[in-house]
Amino acid sequence: MTRNMKRKRFIGSKTSMLVLAVAGSLLFTACSSKSSPDAAEGTNGGGAAAKPVTLKVEVFDRGNSPAGSTITDNYWTKWVNENFGTQSNIDVEYVPVPRSEEVEKLNVLMASGSNVPDIVFTYDPNTFNRYAKQGGLTDLGSLLDEYGPNLKAFLGDDVLNYGKFEGTQFAIPAKRSNTGKYASFIRQDWLDKLGMPVPQTTDELYNTLVAFKEKDPGQIGGQVIPLGMTIASAQYEPLLWSFVKTMTEEQKFTLTQQLGSNDYPILLPGFKDGLQFMNKLYNEGLMNKDFGLDKDKKKLTEDISNGKIGFFTEDDVNIYYENGTYALLQKNVPGSEIAAVDVFTNEEGKHAKPKYASNGLYIMIPKSSERAIEAIKYLDWMASGDNLFQLQNGVENENYTLVEDIPVAAENPTVEATNRMFNSGDMAIISNGKQLGSLEKNLKARAFQMPKAFQEQVAVAQDIANTDTIDLILLDRPIEAQTKYATTLLDKFNEIIVKTTMAKPDQFDSIYESMLKDYMSSGGQAILDERTALYKEMKSK
Amino acid sequence: MSAEEEAILFLPRHPVLIEEATAVSMTNYFRRYWQLYALLVLPLSYFIIFKYGPMYGIQIAFKDFNFFQGINGSEWIGFEAFKEVFGMRDFYITLRNTLMLNFLDLLVSFPAPLILAIMLYEMKMVWFKKLSQTILYIPHFISWVIIGGIVYQVFGTQSGMINNIITSIGFDAVPFLTDKNDWLITYLLVGVWQSAGWGTIIYLAALTGINKELFEAAGIDGAGRLKRIWHITLPGLKPTIVVLLIINLGHMISIGFERPYVIGNLAVREYADVLSTFVYRTGIQSGQYTLATVVGLFQAVVGLVFVLGANYASKKLTDESIL
Repeated sequence: MTRNMKRKRFIGSKTSMLVLAVAGSLLFTACSSKSSPDAAEGTNGGGAAAKPVTLKVEVFDRGNSPAGSTITDNYWTKWVNENFGTQSNIDVEYVPVPRSEEVEKLNVLMASGSNVPDIVFTYDPNTFNRYAKQGGLTDLGSLLDEYGPNLKAFLGDDVLNYGKFEGTQFAIPAKRSNTGKYASFIRQDWLDKLGMPVPQTTDELYNTLVAFKEKDPGQIGGQVIPLGMTIASAQYEPLLWSFVKTMTEEQKFTLTQQLGSNDYPILLPGFKDGLQFMNKLYNEGLMNKDFGLDKDKKKLTEDISNGKIGFFTEDDVNIYYENGTYALLQKNVPGSEIAAVDVFTNEEGKHAKPKYASNGLYIMIPKSSERAIEAIKYLDWMASGDNLFQLQNGVENENYTLVEDIPVAAENPTVEATNRMFNSGDMAIISNGKQLGSLEKNLKARAFQMPKAFQEQVAVAQDIANTDTIDLILLDRPIEAQTKYATTLLDKFNEIIVKTTMAKPDQFDSIYESMLKDYMSSGGQAILDERTALYKEMKSK
Repeated sequence: MSAEEEAILFLPRHPVLIEEATAVSMTNYFRRYWQLYALLVLPLSYFIIFKYGPMYGIQIAFKDFNFFQGINGSEWIGFEAFKEVFGMRDFYITLRNTLMLNFLDLLVSFPAPLILAIMLYEMKMVWFKKLSQTILYIPHFISWVIIGGIVYQVFGTQSGMINNIITSIGFDAVPFLTDKNDWLITYLLVGVWQSAGWGTIIYLAALTGINKELFEAAGIDGAGRLKRIWHITLPGLKPTIVVLLIINLGHMISIGFERPYVIGNLAVREYADVLSTFVYRTGIQSGQYTLATVVGLFQAVVGLVFVLGANYASKKLTDESIL
């Protein structure tokens, strides 16, 4: 009897499975039938001439929308649709992508095929190369000639070249208004107290740092941090690049490793000396012990504004923002003063430091998009007339006033006017920074955005950032190994800095050697080989 | 429907019914119990959609996945990607670290909730017991990102709370976060702090199932508290412990992403880089989905072997098993 019972149960469960399968399939069909009308509507919309077509544009979402607006519905989205939209019979729709995970989210969007916006972009050249290589992008060459004359004139050939993949224009690079990156900063009031001059070279800086540590001019007890370091590029790059030695053209081309949008000096002559210098500073207690944990400069910013740090390097204007690091320092430590200086010196006596490439975002149109022409029209519209100017500066007398043709931020703007500008930079995708026709004007406009009290110092810092900059190496075609290994190698590069800096002086060499070996075998060698081959190819032409 | 009929509905099949089972009674059976099966539709479709459906994508591991061609359009490459992954030095390092962190975690974090649960069970003051339970649960609900921030503040070398105390009484600061061995201890203890309290729930539930009379009888026979724990509480918990152990062993090769990623840092990457961060880096960040899928598949296969092995061993040794 029991056997019989078991058998029956088994049959019962089999039948029930069948019923479930049927129920499940009903559920699925219900879902799919719901989505099909949408698709049909889309094609109909394209066919009917009177109905506006929809252009979908990616937009970075930084989660900073003020009350009353969203990232997809705000002053500027309305402005675009009123000005560009009605005149060209195009309905512009924005697709938000979180800024902090732009590449990850974009990968998912691109892989989905159907939901991908007509205009997408990324800062990561490797992502652009990967898409181009896999054949997922629209060739924009002829489209630009036909529909984008203003855009072409605005960007210029130099910038447009960055968007070429093996000779084909697969991306429209945004134009940078200013390629300066870094300046150094020192506590002037500490120097004054010690009666010391501003250090002019790396050696002088070392002595200053030692004095900061031993004499503690800020009187903050044992907590003084002479050199503020992090594992973000703004802090280690100026130091390390200043140790790079003079090179031949061939060395520059073959030994540089481009990981992401920056060049990295790991194989360049002199790089090891830079690490050795960091190691020395660390072991002598001239640098913060936990710098390897500070990826986002949070701790550094905190320490600067609490008056613990004597010297640091940073993006040229970062500390000057309203209620920013410097303002906080002055509040916390009355009488404190920071001076923008240029200190790290290379063997030629120059203050060599990296700069940005002349392009910013890579703007792309996926191959699956049926709105490539409209997309180019949109970008061309943005580049024509004073559209970009309005988008970047807002409304005259509400957001800015013109002084010698340069927009100056209005004092005491209304809340409405301030709120209006929350996404202006992310809407003006064809440009990084304000474009006013010349570098001088661009820099001035940038300084005028800052609080009045700091504007003079900002000008100094910006000049420093544009002094003795090191050019990025341009490549005729993408290095495949770079596209493939960049993320992994970048992590390893940072790890090398942290581990060699924190090593005991007698272990420095062995740690450096073993980590470099690991770096090379994880893709560094592949990049070196490919770049060497490319160099030979170029020379033989 | 009368109360009696309703009661029948929830009883297992009546023997008499089966005795007379024919094709016709099968339909009857379904007419009668269909609601019970209908209840299953939702959980089953969950498994079909979210657990079985995605298995379709496993084929990516054997294809040169192209974003724009999709899964079907990509070319088959056989075991090429496996060769590439198994040739990467980082793969072995992350595999070693995953196993090492999980094994140490099993050693440290697995007994912790058990001990805690027994201690809570022995507690006689009800209000204090409830209060401590609540406090113990709280860390479980804190996101790892926040825990990471707390860890940084507490264990930092230069400005961490603990090191401030250590240096103020004249000792050298301990690099809890930047020396790999110290970091390991920090990692494990933070894990215990985060999960031990929550882990007690399942043991406490099992403990309520132990017959109270056993304790009384043992007390009369002169067994002290420790003896009672050893001879009554622990044997009573044995099935639960074994089941949890098997589940844990199944997870030996997979490791959560947040904990090593958030608590780890560049200085201790030698130990903190694990398979999940490796997959994130090579797969999601570099867009090489093929390699990521290979690692995922590898983890699944090894995980299955571990579960079956542990289950078999436990069946042989203790007669307890979950399959």
